[in-house]
Amino acid sequence: MAKKDYLPLKSTGRLQRLMKRYYLLTRYHHLWGRPLRRPLAWITSGAPVEILQAFGIDSLYPENYGAIYGARRKGAELALAAETKGFSPDLCSYARANLGAIYRPDLEPMGGLPRPDLLVIGNNICGTVLKWYEALARHYGVPLLIVDSPFVAADDGVSREHAVAYVKGQLRQLIADLTKITGRPLSMTELERRIKWSNEAVQLWEEIRQLGRNRPAPLNVPDLFIQMAPIVVLRGTPQAVAYYRQLYAEAKERVRQGQGAVPGEKYRLLWDNIAIWHHLYRFFNLFSRRGAAFVVDTYTAGWAGTMAPGDPLESLARTYTEVFLNQSFEFRVKQMIQLIREYKVDGFVMHSNRSCKPYSLIQEEMRRRVMAETGVPGLIVEADMTDERAYAEEPIKNRVEAFLESLEGGGD
Amino acid sequence: MTAWTALSREVKTTSSAFLSAESEVKEESGMEHGEADGISTLLAAAQMPSADWPKAYPEIKFFGFFCSYWPEELVLSAGWEPLRLLPPLHPGMAARLPAYTCAVGRGCLAQAENGEYRRLAGVGFAHTCDTMQSLFGVWRSLFTGGEVHQGDESTFMVVPPVNLLATGAETYYRTELELLWRRLTARAGQKPDQEALRGAIRLANQIRRQVEELERRRAWLPSDLVAALLRAGQLMPRANYNQQLARALTQLEDHLSSPAGRIPLVLSGSVLEGDGIYRLIEDLGGRVVADDTCTGSRHYLGLVDEEEEPLLALTRRHLSRPACPCRHQGLPARLDHLKGLVRQREAQGVLLVLRKYCEPQAWDAVPLRDGLKAAGVPVLILELDGVSPGEQERTRLQAFLEGLAAEKG
Repeated sequence: MAKKDYLPLKSTGRLQRLMKRYYLLTRYHHLWGRPLRRPLAWITSGAPVEILQAFGIDSLYPENYGAIYGARRKGAELALAAETKGFSPDLCSYARANLGAIYRPDLEPMGGLPRPDLLVIGNNICGTVLKWYEALARHYGVPLLIVDSPFVAADDGVSREHAVAYVKGQLRQLIADLTKITGRPLSMTELERRIKWSNEAVQLWEEIRQLGRNRPAPLNVPDLFIQMAPIVVLRGTPQAVAYYRQLYAEAKERVRQGQGAVPGEKYRLLWDNIAIWHHLYRFFNLFSRRGAAFVVDTYTAGWAGTMAPGDPLESLARTYTEVFLNQSFEFRVKQMIQLIREYKVDGFVMHSNRSCKPYSLIQEEMRRRVMAETGVPGLIVEADMTDERAYAEEPIKNRVEAFLESLEGGGD
Repeated sequence: MTAWTALSREVKTTSSAFLSAESEVKEESGMEHGEADGISTLLAAAQMPSADWPKAYPEIKFFGFFCSYWPEELVLSAGWEPLRLLPPLHPGMAARLPAYTCAVGRGCLAQAENGEYRRLAGVGFAHTCDTMQSLFGVWRSLFTGGEVHQGDESTFMVVPPVNLLATGAETYYRTELELLWRRLTARAGQKPDQEALRGAIRLANQIRRQVEELERRRAWLPSDLVAALLRAGQLMPRANYNQQLARALTQLEDHLSSPAGRIPLVLSGSVLEGDGIYRLIEDLGGRVVADDTCTGSRHYLGLVDEEEEPLLALTRRHLSRPACPCRHQGLPARLDHLKGLVRQREAQGVLLVLRKYCEPQAWDAVPLRDGLKAAGVPVLILELDGVSPGEQERTRLQAFLEGLAAEKG
């Protein structure tokens, strides 16, 4: 991976140690999980992990591994291994790379994936996860547990009562299924403890993100992409809370000292969509070299919703149903306009990500609406989050340069 | 070439031809529209693009919809005619969607951007795939606040359960349908009327029963003819279709031809807005004996219980009928359904038609291919970008059918 052209974070060393420990424990889960009667679940980023944790179930996030494959430029090679089995190259590259890693463990850069004991999905992020996990369930022959979270079509972003009741009922069923699988009942005390840690981490994460409102911004969005790993895979643990406390302190100190992530911050930008993992710094350096800092993004905001106090199942049902990728177009337009105003953004860049249709297919209309409402210019670049074959470097470079020149020219 | 294939080819593809053919019949016989000859009327209707219907019949209030999960009965009960929105045979590129969008999304939105759907009373989306979810947002933006401004809310979405086996799916979906019904009738300036809904259910069921009759004759009828007859039922006014289909079934009775020598196939896929692939199968000596496509038989499968409370009955039909790949009915459900069709209709093979960028179908193609092969059923996956197959597809299909013919021989 190319080096970043801006201020490094001291906390990153601790992050690397934290994540290395998680990956090692996960890699060798079969050695310690079984004796401790701790099953391993493969789960989606939008699954209610707190319930699994309360049952003593450990989790592996294939989406997270997808990002790692991308960052290590192994995405295309692994995706190809799935394509040779007949999976279309038009399917999500996280899914293709994950399946490729299963079919060709010799290509998997982390030394191979541990076999799951069960699979748990929340379909609140896309329709792909259902099909992907159906393929995994067929391959491994293990239980597939689904939390079906109806798309929130209403503009206000609030899930209707019948939908919340539906999800809550499924969470009860999930608990019944996990009781059978683990042979132990749910500990409500443990669930509440997990939700508390989850909320603390999510709140800290949101506070860290909000520091981007400062001028200069203490963090650049690619930092957030790297720093988001614990909020995805260690949500509901005290380790995530402790880590984000440290990160917050470091970023806050930068604010106190007036130190920006991008030296000489000239332009403040917003990023929309998942990162282009295989060209993360190489792509973002095109901006930081010209003094353009990404001060906020829509993707890492996906882990900013805390669970309300009260009935834990009700809170879980609402929070997981109302995640932003399960929200209407109008909600997302409003969200972007709000972020542009709150973070005083000069322009926005949208990654038209071939692998993520619910994110990408609405972007052109969003761009038009947001530009009309705010007067802030937006650029769309087409690529793929993990499959580097879909990245055309020169055309992207030309488009980025033209966009930055237009910002320098005051939008002329 | 059979007489029916020749007839279907002769029917002009323009709405004006359809209208003039009908008006000639009306003049000659004094019949009202809808009473013209069954088969030729249905074939002409099937070839009339979705966007032309509201222009051709301004006196009828059409309501557009996208997916076979959309509850047509609610639309009928509000006094509108449901009109399935299918892309034109040669779709344009929508300005608001990336090139990696399926032809249904791209083609229909391109027409909407050109203002071709202004006359619709509204448009309904059933939440299915990520593309439909996104298209709903873009469409609504375009029609409520955008360039094709229609004033009041005219774009609707209903969100059926994805996991049809989920705890509470029935209760949830019944409420979802009730809320949709209220919104639709409010838009139509009416109050929800149970009797109107029961009437709509009876009509839809009559059509489904007639389609069952057509299905019984399918093996003795050209594949492209049946496909067109089924597509017509998603486009033309439903009472009219019901009458014409009854007439057509009687007419067909005298013209059934033996399928002997043809290779019987099950065809599975998503939306097919034209008959090209069916015609190609016929030209190459095949016959579609079962059609598991979103615009084919799957659209009609399952009756609504007329004795049950209407919304609950609609809910139960949606939950129990054979699912598309966007729904989950258990891991083996779709494979079992296709294997069942192969067995019941004595098919020799399965053709899986993939529309480019249709992700749910692409996902299912792999386990269906593997499962069918393991069951000893030959299978061919054919990817189509547009709806009309080209020379490459012809060659592959020909080789597949020749292989099946050799096995049979």
